[in-house]
Amino acid sequence: MIRWGLSMRLLARNWRSGEQRILAIALVIAVAASTAIGFFTDRLGRGLVNQSADFLGADLVLLSPRPVENAWLGKARAAGLQAIETLEFASVVVGGEELLLSSVKAVQDGFPLRGRLRIAPAPFAADVDTDTLPGPGEAWVAPRLLTNLGLQVGDSVEVGAHALKITAVITFEPGQARDPFGMSPRLLMRMADVPATGVVQPGSRLSYQYLFAGRETDVAGFRKWLEPRLGPSHELVDVKGGRQAVGSALERAQRYLGLAVLAAIILAGVAVAMAARRYSERHFDMSAILRCLGASQRDLLGLYLPQLLVIGLLASAVGSLLGWLAQFGLVYLLADLLPAAPSVTTAWPVLAGFATGLITLAGFALPPVLRLKSVPPLRVLRRDLLPLPSRAWLVYGAALCAILAVMWRYTDNWALTLSVLVGAVALVALLSLVALLLLLLSRRLHTRVGVAWRFGLNNLWRRRGSSVSQILAFGLTLMAMAVVALVRTDLMTTWQRQLPADAPNHFAINILPEQVAAFRTFMEEAGVTTAQLYPMVRGRLVEINGAAVRKAVTKEARSDNVLNRELNLTWTTALQADNHILKGRWWQPDDSGKALVSVEAKLAERLGIQVGDELRFAIGEQRFTAAVASIRSVEWESFRPNFYMVFPPHVIDRFPATYITSFYLQKADKSLLRELVARYPAVTVLELDRMIEQVGRIFRQVALAVEYVLVFTLLAGFAVLFAALQASQDDRLYEGALLRALGGSRRQLRAGHLAEFTALGALAGLVAALGTECLSWVLYTQVLHLEHSFQWLLWVITPAAGALLIGVAGYAGTRAVLERSPMLLLRNQ
Amino acid sequence: MIATRHLSKRVDTAAGPLDILTDINLEMQLGETVAIAGVSGSGKSTLLGLLAGLDLPSAGEVFLSGNRLNDLDEDGRAGVRAELVGFVFQSFQLLPGLTALENVMLPLELAGQRHAQDAAAQLLGRVGLAGRLQHYPKQLSGGEQQRVAIARAFVTEPAILFADEPTGNLDNVTGERVIDLLFRLNQDKGTTLVLVTHDEHLAGRCERLIRLEAGRVVSDVREAHPA
Ligand SMILES: Nc1ncnc2c1ncn2[C@@H]1O[C@H](COP(=O)(O)OP(=O)(O)OP(=O)(O)O)[C@@H](O)[C@H]1O
Ligand SMILES: [Mg+2]
Repeated sequence: MIRWGLSMRLLARNWRSGEQRILAIALVIAVAASTAIGFFTDRLGRGLVNQSADFLGADLVLLSPRPVENAWLGKARAAGLQAIETLEFASVVVGGEELLLSSVKAVQDGFPLRGRLRIAPAPFAADVDTDTLPGPGEAWVAPRLLTNLGLQVGDSVEVGAHALKITAVITFEPGQARDPFGMSPRLLMRMADVPATGVVQPGSRLSYQYLFAGRETDVAGFRKWLEPRLGPSHELVDVKGGRQAVGSALERAQRYLGLAVLAAIILAGVAVAMAARRYSERHFDMSAILRCLGASQRDLLGLYLPQLLVIGLLASAVGSLLGWLAQFGLVYLLADLLPAAPSVTTAWPVLAGFATGLITLAGFALPPVLRLKSVPPLRVLRRDLLPLPSRAWLVYGAALCAILAVMWRYTDNWALTLSVLVGAVALVALLSLVALLLLLLSRRLHTRVGVAWRFGLNNLWRRRGSSVSQILAFGLTLMAMAVVALVRTDLMTTWQRQLPADAPNHFAINILPEQVAAFRTFMEEAGVTTAQLYPMVRGRLVEINGAAVRKAVTKEARSDNVLNRELNLTWTTALQADNHILKGRWWQPDDSGKALVSVEAKLAERLGIQVGDELRFAIGEQRFTAAVASIRSVEWESFRPNFYMVFPPHVIDRFPATYITSFYLQKADKSLLRELVARYPAVTVLELDRMIEQVGRIFRQVALAVEYVLVFTLLAGFAVLFAALQASQDDRLYEGALLRALGGSRRQLRAGHLAEFTALGALAGLVAALGTECLSWVLYTQVLHLEHSFQWLLWVITPAAGALLIGVAGYAGTRAVLERSPMLLLRNQ
Repeated sequence: MIATRHLSKRVDTAAGPLDILTDINLEMQLGETVAIAGVSGSGKSTLLGLLAGLDLPSAGEVFLSGNRLNDLDEDGRAGVRAELVGFVFQSFQLLPGLTALENVMLPLELAGQRHAQDAAAQLLGRVGLAGRLQHYPKQLSGGEQQRVAIARAFVTEPAILFADEPTGNLDNVTGERVIDLLFRLNQDKGTTLVLVTHDEHLAGRCERLIRLEAGRVVSDVREAHPA
């Protein structure tokens, strides 16, 4: 029977006694972390998605070589989406006497659906955002097109049979092709002008791009409808796939945020479990008295469970509020960085926060509290009688279920969740074993240390059952903190390596061999450092191991773009800094002149190319064969010149080559480009600064989120450590009081406690280091796809941090109580 | 009211089985005051625990007002206690988080009674603590705490009251006052009082004195004129 009145009165009365407060605080932390991060990722995610959409020019893009059924666009519009058609095709355009292959894009009003075009009145002049499009009979063009054709804004250019007047220079275009090298300069015109050009004939190679934008759910719904209707020649591109660099950064960041929340919740869970245990132990007497007065087991549950529920609800409410405030403050502080984040937030994180609070409570606090109902009433006469210990399966089972439920929310993937969980159970089992072993080892040590340490280590050994579980709890806490910190550092390094502040943001291509030296001097004099100048030879891959390439590869690979166009081939002695040899070997000095080639890993995988395969290339009219010496990974996201095929020197240098390089140029120095193009008219400059700036901004936001969440998790960790320490102090205090009553000096006891806690912390740190190695290995290789390396420093830092943290906190905690008279303590018991 | 038949308690210890109580046969009538006396370790508390159904015997039977305790599970025995039994302990066993008034209300609230507060306040008045209703146990002296405990024991008007060394933690004068109170309330309510003590004087105030030695009843005498 539930007695709310009595139950609430007990709750209010016992509030001062501490353990309920700790339980509530731990819950508040869990809920606040979960809601803050929920709200924040929600906002940040939408902000980032919007920015990425600006990048793509839409929320969703459908690529097709032919026009798609009108009904599809109709369906999209009926679903509340904006939908427009654009067309891209390659065409030779004529300006004056010159011809140039150009990439033409024909658009309709409304383009782009997301983001904005930027245009300038002349090449390399200051640019501005615009919401307009070229008028009928007009064209906007890339600066390259003007310089290559020797035209100026105001001149006219012929596309097929139609002459268009150039009215602006495009400096940024959302949804620009993903490979800036293969692309010929852009010409933007009206869809309505296309028929007049006469270039769109049956058989022309066209790429229709359908842009869709709208509310997230509408887009998702339309996508679901569309996907089953797509044919093999259709391709859907969404915000995540739109840019690899941004996409993978986003995905990693989201996983990281999920991981950090999970860590915070599990940490809080540990604290809740410990507080609940203490709560339970402190209520043994009361339960016995109540049983004695005739309360049934149900009566006891009716007293305790409402208390737990109310604590859970209150803590969840406070936690949600704090979480909401926390994200609010952050978004306010970062208003500049989150420009596109809409201010409407859903109530979902609050609900999720309550769910997290109650689930954590049920999973971690219920088993010890349930134990209260089995307190024997005879305890009123015989104080040593204890209730049956909670069954291990119940305690761990409930905790596991809670973690499972929370984890599922963040991973949304049962297979992953389950495998992680099985791994976690195995890890915990391993770590408990290690904790016991360490304890045994320290036992060995204890004869060789001073009296305080002997007292401390002896204490740990005497209570080895609870020592192991404490080492484990502290170890797991330290581990969660270490993993979250470690992953953060590595994510940051990865991103910084991908996009350092001075990442090259311009490419110069088509540098003629005889211009190389002069070009280099020119740049040096202008104070601009360039990357290495790589020779570039255009060639096609025609045979693999003697079989024509189209037959040699799998069906899916047949449509691979790489097979349909010329590849950039190069030669070099030194491996590029961001490349790694995955299989085979890099060039030795005597490889020079040998018919060998190094192949980019993803291409090799797609085409099934192995080390030792014979590849045949066609360069102009000539053909030659090279053996694959290595498979090489390439960071395409690094914005440095990279190549699918790299040869050793003196293999393809007999073919006509041009040179390519990249460099970093500040906005203020843009005028240099004009000079450069004037001096070397053949050189083409690709400006990627806009794009890189945008990617950089996204990275910075993501990094910020990661830092923020780290702080949250660390705070949770510290709070939990303190809470857990307090919870484990009762035994020690009682014993300490007894020892003092028997004549031990405070100083001795304090030194002993300090030694005990320090040892406990150091052992927990060792356990944490081991756990961190295992866990981070799994996370890096399976979830975040980062490189993993052994962290020897971890083995020093975590034990030291553990010893320090737990030593100091434990010491401080026991110290206060030792100041009191031992009599008081005994009376209290 | 209370009856035992061939009651024995044996426990397993590291040194082998230990008989704490052997073959106890007793009967106590309604309204009787009974003292159980004996030296420390003779099994008094164990017997009290068995009589109140806090524990089960290893052999033999216990009846409380017709209920055979052996037949009942923990909750069943708790139900019998709620209905019939009150307790007073040596160490008072008040809930530190509740006021004197709330402590006394507790058994009534557990039994789901409405006017718990009035009854509790009235009884606290009778034990002389009318002015201390809102005090917590910590703010009360030992004697006052024991009086609260006595009020709590009587508030449900139980048929049987068990008291284990009720004066054990009190000085002589205070102990005497507490005992006076106990007997007075007992007389008013007509309760069966079972009192465990090694205090001969206190034992002498009961109508009947049962002596335990090493777990056996060695004497059982009714005095003609109890104090
Ligand atoms: N579960 C048990 N296991 C082992 N020994 C027990 C157990 N229960 C009681 N005893 C022993 O039985 C004996 C009787 O205990 P009991 O508490 O009934 O004595 P008592 O007469 O109340 O003594 P005191 O006057 O000191 O309270 C004691 O020696 C005690 O140690
Ligand atoms: Mg006793």
